[in-house]
Amino acid sequence: MSEARLGLWSSMTSKVHSCSGILWPESSFFPLSQWLYDHRLSTKELEEKYGTNILQGLTNMRAAEILARDGPNVLSPPKETPEIIKFLKQMIGGFSSLLWAGAVLCFIAYLIEFSKDKSASLDNLYLGGVLIVVVILTGMFAYYQEAKSTNIIASFTKMIPRNALVIRNGEKYEIPAEHLVLGDIVEIKGGDQIPADIRILTSQGCKVDNSSLTGESEPQFRSCEVTHENPLESKNIGFYSTTCLEGTATGMVINTGDRTVIGRIASLASSVGHEKTPIAIEIEHFVHIVAGVAVSIGIVFFIIAICMKYRVLDAVIFLIGIILANVPEGLVAAVTVSLSLTAKRMAKKNCLVKNLEAVETLGSTSIICSDKTGTLTQNRMTVAHLWFDNEIYQADTSENQKDQIFDQSSATWTSLSKIVMLCNRAEFKSGQESVPIMKKIVMGDASEAALLKFSEVVMGDVIERRKKNRKVVEIPFNSVNKFQLSIHETDDPNDKRFLLVMKGAPERILEKCSTIMINGQEQPLDESSVKAFQDAYMELGGLGERVLGFCHLYLPEDEFPDNYSFDVESMNFPTSDLCFVGLISLIDPPRSTVPDAVIKCRSAGIKVIMVTGDHPITAKAIARSVGIISANSETVEDIAKRLKIPVEKVNKREAKAAVVSGMELKEMSPEQLDELLANHTEIVFARTSPQQKLVIVEGCQRQNAIVAVTGDGVNDSPALKKADIGIAMGCAGSDAAKIAADMVLLDDNFSSIVTGIEEGRLIFDNLKKIIAFTLTKNIAELIPFLIFIIAGVPLPIGTIAILFIDLGTDIIPSIALAYEKAESDIMNRKPRHKKKDRLVNHQLALYSYLQIGILQSVGGFFAYFTVYTVQGFKPDLLLYLRPLWENDSLNDLEDSYGQEWTKYQRQYLEWTGYTAYFVAVMVQQIADVIIRKTRINSVFQQGLFRNKYIWVGIASQIIIAVILSSGFGSIPVLNFTTLRIQYWFVAVPYAIVIWLYDEFRKLLVRHYPGSWWDKTMYY
Amino acid sequence: MVPRSVCLTLAGWVRPAAAPKGTSPERSLGSSFAELLLLPGPSEAVGADGSPFPRNRLLWRLRESVALGDRFSDIWDTVSLTSRRLILLFYLAFYGFLAALFTFTMWVMLQTLSDETPKYRDQISSPGLTIVPKPPGALEFSLNISKPATYENYIDAIKEFLREYEGKKQEHLLQCRNGTFFEQDNIFPKKTCKFSLETLGPCSGLNDVNFGYPDGNPCIFVKMNRIIGLRPQGEPRIVCAVKEGTEVNLATFPKDGRLDLMYFPYYGKKLHVNYRQPVVALQVQFQSYNQEVSIECKIEGSPNLRNQDERDKFLGRVAFKISLTQ
Repeated sequence: MSEARLGLWSSMTSKVHSCSGILWPESSFFPLSQWLYDHRLSTKELEEKYGTNILQGLTNMRAAEILARDGPNVLSPPKETPEIIKFLKQMIGGFSSLLWAGAVLCFIAYLIEFSKDKSASLDNLYLGGVLIVVVILTGMFAYYQEAKSTNIIASFTKMIPRNALVIRNGEKYEIPAEHLVLGDIVEIKGGDQIPADIRILTSQGCKVDNSSLTGESEPQFRSCEVTHENPLESKNIGFYSTTCLEGTATGMVINTGDRTVIGRIASLASSVGHEKTPIAIEIEHFVHIVAGVAVSIGIVFFIIAICMKYRVLDAVIFLIGIILANVPEGLVAAVTVSLSLTAKRMAKKNCLVKNLEAVETLGSTSIICSDKTGTLTQNRMTVAHLWFDNEIYQADTSENQKDQIFDQSSATWTSLSKIVMLCNRAEFKSGQESVPIMKKIVMGDASEAALLKFSEVVMGDVIERRKKNRKVVEIPFNSVNKFQLSIHETDDPNDKRFLLVMKGAPERILEKCSTIMINGQEQPLDESSVKAFQDAYMELGGLGERVLGFCHLYLPEDEFPDNYSFDVESMNFPTSDLCFVGLISLIDPPRSTVPDAVIKCRSAGIKVIMVTGDHPITAKAIARSVGIISANSETVEDIAKRLKIPVEKVNKREAKAAVVSGMELKEMSPEQLDELLANHTEIVFARTSPQQKLVIVEGCQRQNAIVAVTGDGVNDSPALKKADIGIAMGCAGSDAAKIAADMVLLDDNFSSIVTGIEEGRLIFDNLKKIIAFTLTKNIAELIPFLIFIIAGVPLPIGTIAILFIDLGTDIIPSIALAYEKAESDIMNRKPRHKKKDRLVNHQLALYSYLQIGILQSVGGFFAYFTVYTVQGFKPDLLLYLRPLWENDSLNDLEDSYGQEWTKYQRQYLEWTGYTAYFVAVMVQQIADVIIRKTRINSVFQQGLFRNKYIWVGIASQIIIAVILSSGFGSIPVLNFTTLRIQYWFVAVPYAIVIWLYDEFRKLLVRHYPGSWWDKTMYY
Repeated sequence: MVPRSVCLTLAGWVRPAAAPKGTSPERSLGSSFAELLLLPGPSEAVGADGSPFPRNRLLWRLRESVALGDRFSDIWDTVSLTSRRLILLFYLAFYGFLAALFTFTMWVMLQTLSDETPKYRDQISSPGLTIVPKPPGALEFSLNISKPATYENYIDAIKEFLREYEGKKQEHLLQCRNGTFFEQDNIFPKKTCKFSLETLGPCSGLNDVNFGYPDGNPCIFVKMNRIIGLRPQGEPRIVCAVKEGTEVNLATFPKDGRLDLMYFPYYGKKLHVNYRQPVVALQVQFQSYNQEVSIECKIEGSPNLRNQDERDKFLGRVAFKISLTQ
């Protein structure tokens, strides 16, 4: 048992901290030389250096000068990409560039035509315009969606203006903190945030919470003495943005704004590059596939068209058609909407997503580097164990502490509870009568607050009881005495004795005792009871808990009568030969939902690594209790202890778990770190510095893992930024962390991450479905152009109709797929492999393009031929009819039945053909959206009607098609015509075949896992 | 107490570790290309001659990658050869099935149709008008009396057009009753009414084999598109009028440009084998040379034949220009 651990209560002395070794590197990030001496300088030297006066402060004029020189005392916000750049990125990214190319080609085609013939048809001009409108609208849409999710966060980061109490011209002023300058003398008191880096000049019991900077959850004393050569370890420096918990202090501002320690860390965070999100990489990959297919088919057919002696102009127009057919115009919108729907869903489950793409990243996460304090734990000290009557009792550490099941009948407990209640300076803030006990705000130290709440829960109405036991005198805790003492009147009117109660570091308390209370009886403190005490102390300390000892003494009535005047200075009362009553240990307990969440992560193949600034023992204890180190796994040290051999002799491979302190990590080479990360499944990093967090994240990323990092402190922000997905805590988190993160946990609860992972995995699956759905009809849009070029038939579908499929009928169904439930338990499979499990794999591409896509095209052509045949043009006549069909001056073209057609009549028939083909694709896309509900299960297993949105989507498809076909579409440029009812059903057989075929595919995939069919057909 | 190793860490290997990440997309492409060139396929680890990299296979992979696009090839490369063969086989079968399905559905669809009459005539409720001869491109005749080459083609085209109407070819046709439909719904085979060239007067070609072209009185024939089952109401005639230009007279033959009802209805190519379409001849009699006239002909006198459609310039009407020079 480490000495440091046992003396936790005493850990407020500098001794423990000097060896704790928070690693503050002196690197380019931290040129300490600049104020290396500030903590060592005497007040006189400081006054000289900063040209100030400790009592009078700066003059207002001097302050204004320095303010003008150094700028305001604020952190400069991270560089934001200008909105216009973000917007333009949406305009040219992905498919947009292809569409721009299409639009330019349209204009070129129009110009060529126009230069030849002034009365050239405006179709190409319109089409070019429509394309540009499409690009701009989808771009604006995506931009809007992005901006919307970013705005939620923006409101978060708005800083509340803080004020500082400053002495200038010898008078106290309350000024906004950003007006502070070097050399200002500031006063701070409990509850204040330290407004800049300050050198402490005077201190009265000042304690600060440095957890946002170092991750240490224990309050730190601040005094005016130099305690360490490193200014960051020295107790006479207060850091910007840390909180003063209690006491008061005055200090001199020695750093402001970006030059503060926090400012430097924040700038470190912004210097860490942000990786592309996995989904962005996937979508890029997919865009490349589609663009590759579009461009290569386009070029091939451009050449074919030229070889077939088409005019160049026509070949260009074909090229436009091919590009247009290949580009899934609606996909960007559908993907963005799906992501933001998921983001919304996650926000409901307390995961607020800043960057839409991060929604999926969480799903592919394979390692979570979790912070301890506040994320895994409740971030409040809580009574965990009690020891009295030689027995350790467990207290309820859950969030409400309702079920205190330990034995409360013992008389020892009665005494102990009295000490706990009385020897405590913490108080509830007034006006919180209706607030549940656990939520009440307490004024005072974390441990005292824990004890106050504990007694309030167990005994009720502490304040009233304290009133009955009037406090006569008290000695507050100090680091020299290491105990706290108070003397009270008793609540028994017949008992005129005074009660002396004391708590403190257990070994110090024990020293002062000569008796121990067992079952309410005072017994002499013999060897065996000391041994029992030691064992209990060791055990509780080993659990990573902070242990306090409690003792009391009833002062004899004759020596200390009613009117006895107690004097704290002279200590005119006994402080030895007391009666030892018991121990209480405190811990920041794990949140009750965390163990479950860790198990879920495990079964989902996700490694959970704890990275904390806290002590290794505490870290390990918490890791064990939440399951990060599972019950049956051992660290190298555990094995050594069990086998009673030196640590060096243990085979490192045998240990599943590892606890690594910052000191050890410091000595490691990157290779050793890689080995550590690869060979241990359960790892805890303790006493780590911000830079080390970064090193750990990078180490994980070298393992090809997708790393999620949780954190709340400023010290976490570089790692949050570096991680594939940074998760900040919404309640406890600092603004810097929230800015650096991609996601904010509103309830600071680790288990919310698990729901996030689930949603992320689901959206990945659903994006696959959406893309498969969207890609399918691209072939059905492409084939008509190919047949048109090669077989010279009248064009089966026009470019405008294609746009109406992509941006009209298909949009809502594809978004509806985002609502699809998981097919199996997605939390039982491994995280996807970055390189192997692609969003769009060849199975998906081939199945969508070459099977269902071709099937759809055949269905479309069937509808097309039906319309032409029924109206008089039989298929055989249509072949190579194009030159005559499109001849404007040929107004008596003979059909298969000997009738003659004017050009416009043929044109109208062509539009009817477009409409029929459009409707056929729409009908088959209904089947397509139904089959895409599942990838392996039967649609019936999934439940045909479980996802209502699919049916909304299908209804929208039909309604849009009906609207287009009836009236609205007869607007000249749109070229839709009213179809006879029966044409709507022509493609139904094909739709049924699609459904049946896909069910057949899924059946075989289910029945022959691992077979060739499975490998080829399962996407 | 300056932790040196951390400084080293930050300055040294952080950057190189991050660098490959940023470039990973390019690298993955590059590496896939390298694999393409260097790695043998999984099932042919060693070539026939024992060399580790069989040449033909290499070329095949290269070709394939070019055909499919580099991006596609890096996923396709992971597919083994046996699997690829199976895939080919599968697609053969699948497309065979599709072809059968398409053929079957087309066959069923064709079964529902009659060979003689199309099921619907939605787009051709009203016929269009066209002219013979037809100038190439836009309907603009540019005739020069002194240059026969400018109209010889037209004369040939007219002759070709009127060949069907020669007396010899119409010998076996019926002389029908004027002014009434020639209904023969239940008569097989369908009979055809004779269209006598005599009715075309000077444009009949019987007297003037040059149809007036060398004389500056060119004949232009206006015909109405055939539509199965069309029964014009009233007394349809083709009326031509000069739109621009003054010094011309227009004469239509038969008289008033009448289209006799006996030529209707039409029963279709298959049933109505020898059908003769009624024609109206228009003689443009130029009063002086060197002028351009534009003429529009319309069907009139029949309420169910439309002649004023905004979008279809040939529905029941036809407009053309003639310029005549000397």
